[in-house]
Amino acid sequence: MPFVDYYQILGVDKSADEKAIKNAYRKLARKFHPDLNPDDKEAEQKFKELNEANEVLSDPEKRKKYDQYGKDWQHSDEFESARRARGNANSYQGQQYSGGGDQFSDFFESMFGSGSGFGGGRQARFRGQDYQAEVNLNLQQAYETHKQTLTVNGRNIRITVPAGIENGQTIKIPGHGGKGSNGGPDGDLYITFQIRNDEKIRRTGNDLHIKAELDLYTAVLGGELILDTLSGKVKLPVKPETQNGSVVRLKGKGFPVYKKEGEFGDLYVTFDVKIPKNLTERQKELFLELSKS
Amino acid sequence: MENDQLIAIDTFCTYYEVEYSFVESLQNSDLIELVEVNESRFLQIPQLRKIERLIRLHRDLDINIAGIEAVDNLLNRVDNLSREILTLKNRLRFYERDL
Repeated sequence: MPFVDYYQILGVDKSADEKAIKNAYRKLARKFHPDLNPDDKEAEQKFKELNEANEVLSDPEKRKKYDQYGKDWQHSDEFESARRARGNANSYQGQQYSGGGDQFSDFFESMFGSGSGFGGGRQARFRGQDYQAEVNLNLQQAYETHKQTLTVNGRNIRITVPAGIENGQTIKIPGHGGKGSNGGPDGDLYITFQIRNDEKIRRTGNDLHIKAELDLYTAVLGGELILDTLSGKVKLPVKPETQNGSVVRLKGKGFPVYKKEGEFGDLYVTFDVKIPKNLTERQKELFLELSKS
Repeated sequence: MENDQLIAIDTFCTYYEVEYSFVESLQNSDLIELVEVNESRFLQIPQLRKIERLIRLHRDLDINIAGIEAVDNLLNRVDNLSREILTLKNRLRFYERDL
């Protein structure tokens, strides 16, 4: 467990007085506060470090212990026993931010104990804490409304994932966060969906794009093609003289529109005409004949 | 709004340890909306998350109501821009094989 230099975190000198520490904390807190840096894990981590540094350095007793033992924090048990005997432990009125995780480092816990200033967040006094979760889906899963069971903070939650959900979209499940206290409401669960790209089928909004390989003869003479789509196999008529790179639109064969049952985007098929390889002598003769006609 | 979706301001102020005047100031700045039922004033529970954020800004960062209002406006803009970036990123994914 590495030593944590609280003075360095706050950017103050070891001789800094209470006011200087408070100013340094406020200045950095304004920069890294999680409410000012939404979805920024780095800022959240930095803010936790700042809180921890402030928790120690703004409390004369904790600061004294930290200064006294510093890098020899493993031998600070005696100090801790003495402190407990005096029975004047401070309670930290810290905040609990969504996203969970430890509020303080292992270093802090081993030096000041896990009971020192933990879990007294203002949120915990009434409304429960909000939880965040991430769900990974492939394109096929996002195509269909389906149920999924998630385990969030040891609790199984069964959710319905509506068809058409977007990559990066977040949905709120009210009341599935932490328990409220003193009659307060439970927190909410925020689920963000990460949807993997499909190698063959691409999505833009509610439309799907697919590349269909077409042999030269079907492209020239016309015919039909069987396409594998997210809704199953689709028979696609191919017009004679279909050009390489040409696109046809299949209306309503795209992705389902989020929370609009029965509505779908379109499917765009781009033809990729393949030129035959390893021609026989006879085939070459025929192509030569064609080229002269 | 259902009654179980409301919380009396007095209860709120007690549990969150904030002054009644602070809640009123938030309302006067249109940062929150209070509901009046039988001459008593209530907060709407769906707004709690936002109010908690405003209280944190006030307490942790020592920001006054005018500052909170400015920060809230900017955060709303950040939120809108983030959504726009996500839409653009999703469009960009169309051209990127490995995402």
